Amino acid sequence: MPTNSSSAALTGTPTPAPAALAGTPSVAEPALAGNPVEKIQIKDLRFYYKKFEALKTINLSLADKKVTAFIGPSGCGKSTLLRILNRMYALYPEQRAEGQVLVDGVNILDPKVDLNLLRAKIGMVFQKPTPFPMSIFDNIAFGINLYEDLPRAELEDRVEQALRKAALWTEVKDKLKQSGLGLSGGQQQRLCIARAIAVKPEILLLDEPCSALDPISTQKIEELISELKTDYCIVIVTHSMQQAARSSDYTAFMYLGELIEFNDTETVFTNPQNKRTEDYITGRFG
Amino acid sequence: MAKDLSRYAGRRRKNWIILSLSMFATAIGLFFLGAIMFALLTEGIAAIRPSLFTEMTPAPGSDGGLLNAIYGSAVMTVFGTVVGTPIGILVGTYIAEYSRGNKLGQAIQFINDVLLSAPSIIVGLFVYELLVVPMGHFSAWAGGTTLAILVIPVVTRTTVDMLALVPNALREAAAALGTPKWRITVSVCYRAARQGMLTGIMLAVARISGETAPLLFTVLSNQFWSMDMNRPIANLPVVISNFALSPYPDWQRLAWGGALLITVAILCLNIAARTLASFGSAKQ
Repeated sequence: MPTNSSSAALTGTPTPAPAALAGTPSVAEPALAGNPVEKIQIKDLRFYYKKFEALKTINLSLADKKVTAFIGPSGCGKSTLLRILNRMYALYPEQRAEGQVLVDGVNILDPKVDLNLLRAKIGMVFQKPTPFPMSIFDNIAFGINLYEDLPRAELEDRVEQALRKAALWTEVKDKLKQSGLGLSGGQQQRLCIARAIAVKPEILLLDEPCSALDPISTQKIEELISELKTDYCIVIVTHSMQQAARSSDYTAFMYLGELIEFNDTETVFTNPQNKRTEDYITGRFG
Repeated sequence: MAKDLSRYAGRRRKNWIILSLSMFATAIGLFFLGAIMFALLTEGIAAIRPSLFTEMTPAPGSDGGLLNAIYGSAVMTVFGTVVGTPIGILVGTYIAEYSRGNKLGQAIQFINDVLLSAPSIIVGLFVYELLVVPMGHFSAWAGGTTLAILVIPVVTRTTVDMLALVPNALREAAAALGTPKWRITVSVCYRAARQGMLTGIMLAVARISGETAPLLFTVLSNQFWSMDMNRPIANLPVVISNFALSPYPDWQRLAWGGALLITVAILCLNIAARTLASFGSAKQ
């Protein structure tokens, strides 16, 4: 890693990592095809677990009201990148990010940013369903009650809306008082999505949301994602290339902490510019 | 394809041996538990009659009950639990949720473990020096304080252990909604660990209900009815100990009755707490 990268960042010239990116097209300033609104701009982002550099100078823009998928083999840094976007890494003092992540033009890596307000704006759903040990209703109401003091009827209305939006309402409307832990894995995951959208975020981060689910539940979640993207900026990390191809508008391929290729999903899957992207999506490695 | 089954047979044999040893050990434990319960019931049941709950500890040779001792024990146990439990939970919460394995947290945990295994009589001596000597007399306050100090390490330890079992994913999920740290701990972690933490409190109550030695240094006992926390007060463990060691058959019978009473009370408390806890958590 060049040590003068900060000066390079200031002058606007991207800093490619010498050997790894040699001979590949620059991915530092990707223009989003179709010119959508850029909700998130990631600039010269580096990330460290203690001394280990997990992300090497990432530059990327994420579009509003679209789905962006991060793909790549295990350990490539795609989940790490996702967890920077709501500063989840800040729970762990030994993890550190450098560079800039602008959400609506505000650098969220600034220490002055209030993490709780940030996370209320940026929802997240995890790989394993994580229902809280409380009733289905309370699972959804929990997040709403953090920032709003609603009368009971209005709260019930909001819970219903969230559950409807997550395509779970018809399955649980008669057992809202039962524990969220009693639902099936797929239902639990939709409960978590409902919980995330109940607090009215603008961005939704999905960290391999289907990897613990069966194909039918996966299909439901994917349908849900395509419905939700009309309202949110959605970022999804996935191990399934079919899933990325099916449900995303843009795809970022990452490898060993670097962003190798970023483009609209169709181009990445039908006409990849980089050899490694092609190898990965055709299943030759990873 | 012929597999060499000798290794498999060896594993099966080992399994059988370990299983037998485990069952044998369980049987030994159950036997003594059963024997103690049997002795308690056969000897103690004779002492269980209305006067046990309505009359004071008698002089030798006259009829009486354990009312003053039951009251004293109840008051001091409640005091010890009410004071010790919150402190124990807060210490446990600091270690498990806030210290993140730093030096201070490790040191507190180590000291807590020492306190957990320290003989209770030493805690009694400590409170004797701390309260009884300056006050100039034994008192129920001193006894309650001793019990509170005994509650703290038990509750701390179980709180730490139970919070450690709460999956980190749950904390992250709560944080991802923009939940403040204290709210994550109270609303999510405590809820997830509730059953185990409650068991810890029950363990602590059970432990202090039977403590005798430290009470000798702090409350002594009292032959008569007293509600004054500033004075010595009668209590079941010390009365049982005194009466059981006495040569008088009616005192010995009361001692058996008291022992049965403590055991049954703790049993009922455990059942009640568990029922309450399972009511509290929604059906799964």
